Amino acid sequence: MENTTSIEIRNLIKYFHEPETFQVLKGVSFTVNKGQFLSIVGKSGSGKSTLLYVLSTMDTDYEGTLQINGELLTGKTQNQLAAFRNEHIGFVFQFHYLLPEFSALQNVMLPALKLGKLSAEEIEHKAYESLRLLDLQGQELKNAKRLSGGQQQRVAIARALINSPSVIMGDEPTGNLDTKNSKAVQDIFKQLAHEYGQTIICVTHDPDFANNTDKIIEMKDGLIV
Amino acid sequence: MLKSNNIQIAKVHLTSKIWQTFVAVLGVTFGVSMYIFMNSFMNGVNKAQDDLAFRALAHVRIYNQDNKNDYNPIESQFDLSKTIINILNRKNIQYTSGLKNSSAIVSLVKKQPEVVAVSRQVNSSVFFRSGSKQVNGVVSGVELKSEDELYNTSLTVIQGEWNNLLKYKTGIILGKLLAERLGLQINNSINVLTSEGVSKNYIVVGIFESNLKTMDETKAYLNIMAARQLVGESSDYASDIMVNIKEKENTANYIQKIAPLVPFQVESWQEANEQLVAGSELRNIIAVAVSLTILLVAGFGIYNIMTMTINEKIKEIAILKALGFSGSDIMTIFITQAAVIGIFGALVGVILGYGISLLINMIPFTIAGMDTLPIFFQTKDFLFAVVFGILTTLIAGYLPSIKASKIDPVIIIRG
Ligand SMILES: Nc1ncnc2c1ncn2[C@@H]1O[C@H](COP(=O)(O)OP(=O)(O)OP(=O)(O)O)[C@@H](O)[C@H]1O
Ligand SMILES: [Mg+2]
Repeated sequence: MENTTSIEIRNLIKYFHEPETFQVLKGVSFTVNKGQFLSIVGKSGSGKSTLLYVLSTMDTDYEGTLQINGELLTGKTQNQLAAFRNEHIGFVFQFHYLLPEFSALQNVMLPALKLGKLSAEEIEHKAYESLRLLDLQGQELKNAKRLSGGQQQRVAIARALINSPSVIMGDEPTGNLDTKNSKAVQDIFKQLAHEYGQTIICVTHDPDFANNTDKIIEMKDGLIV
Repeated sequence: MLKSNNIQIAKVHLTSKIWQTFVAVLGVTFGVSMYIFMNSFMNGVNKAQDDLAFRALAHVRIYNQDNKNDYNPIESQFDLSKTIINILNRKNIQYTSGLKNSSAIVSLVKKQPEVVAVSRQVNSSVFFRSGSKQVNGVVSGVELKSEDELYNTSLTVIQGEWNNLLKYKTGIILGKLLAERLGLQINNSINVLTSEGVSKNYIVVGIFESNLKTMDETKAYLNIMAARQLVGESSDYASDIMVNIKEKENTANYIQKIAPLVPFQVESWQEANEQLVAGSELRNIIAVAVSLTILLVAGFGIYNIMTMTINEKIKEIAILKALGFSGSDIMTIFITQAAVIGIFGALVGVILGYGISLLINMIPFTIAGMDTLPIFFQTKDFLFAVVFGILTTLIAGYLPSIKASKIDPVIIIRG
């Protein structure tokens, strides 16, 4: 049978040691299938962002195991994980985090230039495409620091899509968007999941967003309920 | 592709904070230009000093003097512990100083390829007398052509002409201060009295000024033939043979080759003038110490600026890492910035250092025959300044960029 598992975590435990030792994740396990559009909901402080950072491979200080596309990522070096992220994971941070001195276009192109699989012209073309899809025509050459909060968030989404990663993660990716733009992003995510088989995991506080996804995971005090 | 991407990022960093980049470049420029100026100035001083000194100093001197005062034929024959020796009123027999067959030695010495000029001299201490005035000094009988090759003496003759010594058999050229003390002018006559008691009259056919005070006060030139007559020696006699070689620093090498062939003392200018060597060595040490300090301070400045830049960009570094840039990508980005600052700063520094030196070279300074403050350019100073300037910048950029490459993105992004 074809392997359809995209992400698999087993018994994830995470502590913070500052200001005092405190268990944030208390043994979280689940699997996500390829092409699934998943949302994580829960009260503020329940550990959603923390979980997403572990899933994104950036946080390596945890107990338990993480597998993406059948590859065990627990225990790999920072540089191995960086290369893996570059190719397989697109990430939209809770606070948008663009490079302020680079144009919107350059921000979107960076991960693809790093990956180096396409020529600069092809990448540029692709970047223009995704910016247009996110209603950012005419903003491409503006410096990121001159864009509004919602525009920045959409640039960050375009950047997460540029390498066609097998997994896209978002920490409240539509938190700063109006209903119309939020709906557009949801549609894009849905299409990517269902037509191109990309796995999407989003943390959200928006019930409409959550209801629009294939599966909802609810977190409470570091556990899935 | 991958590399050019990092370089592109470095370029954006450099150009987006252009003022900061400018200050960093200025630091390197300052260090490099001061290094070039300091060294060119010290070289100039050393060279001026040497030029002055070598007006009266040959690279190698061959002479024959009695310096063996310890020869004791009796003590060397007997075992000292068993014999009591008592020599009364011991006297040395007369030692024949000077070189009797000088042309043989000249042709021997000339055979080495590095020899530039060889000149024979007959030097003797004398009294110069004019009317009631009497001054003691030295006459130097010289071979006019080779003496001029050695020291450019003809250029120091300020009245009359160097070659007058060839034309007039009884001609003499006096030092300027000597002539003044004796109250003599050109075409006056002068009496010279040797220590052997020989007295002869000469006509002043020239006056020289070497800017070396002792020389101008005590020295007079004769044709070598005239000098031999004065001291009563044969036509192949010389008291000293002076040799100049191509590289004045290489005397040791040359002396090693000819000393075994010449049965007389062979002395380098370094042995004869240790204070001159010490002076220029000390000046070099000062120049290097001062300019290295300047470059080092500039290096610290660059280190600070690089550290500041990296601290400012810590969030961006975290984002780049989150997007999949590796530690070595981050290092490439910041070392590229350091390299650009270093190369640019060094090149501007070379131009500025050259300019400052040229300006200093125009400041009047009329002591000891100089017109302006001396400057002497050496390619190796420029090369070293550039290499050291770039190297300091690279090290100053390397250390903080290691720190940057180790940044853990999640700590920054979590906030
Ligand atoms: N760097 C940190 N050091 C210590 N404790 C932390 C740190 N980051 C988060 N926490 C704590 O861990 C818990 C979970 O935080 P997390 O950011 O995962 O919450 P969240 O579910 O994403 O909340 P929100 O919906 O407000 O974004 C919180 O109690 C928070 O105080
Ligand atoms: Mg959160």
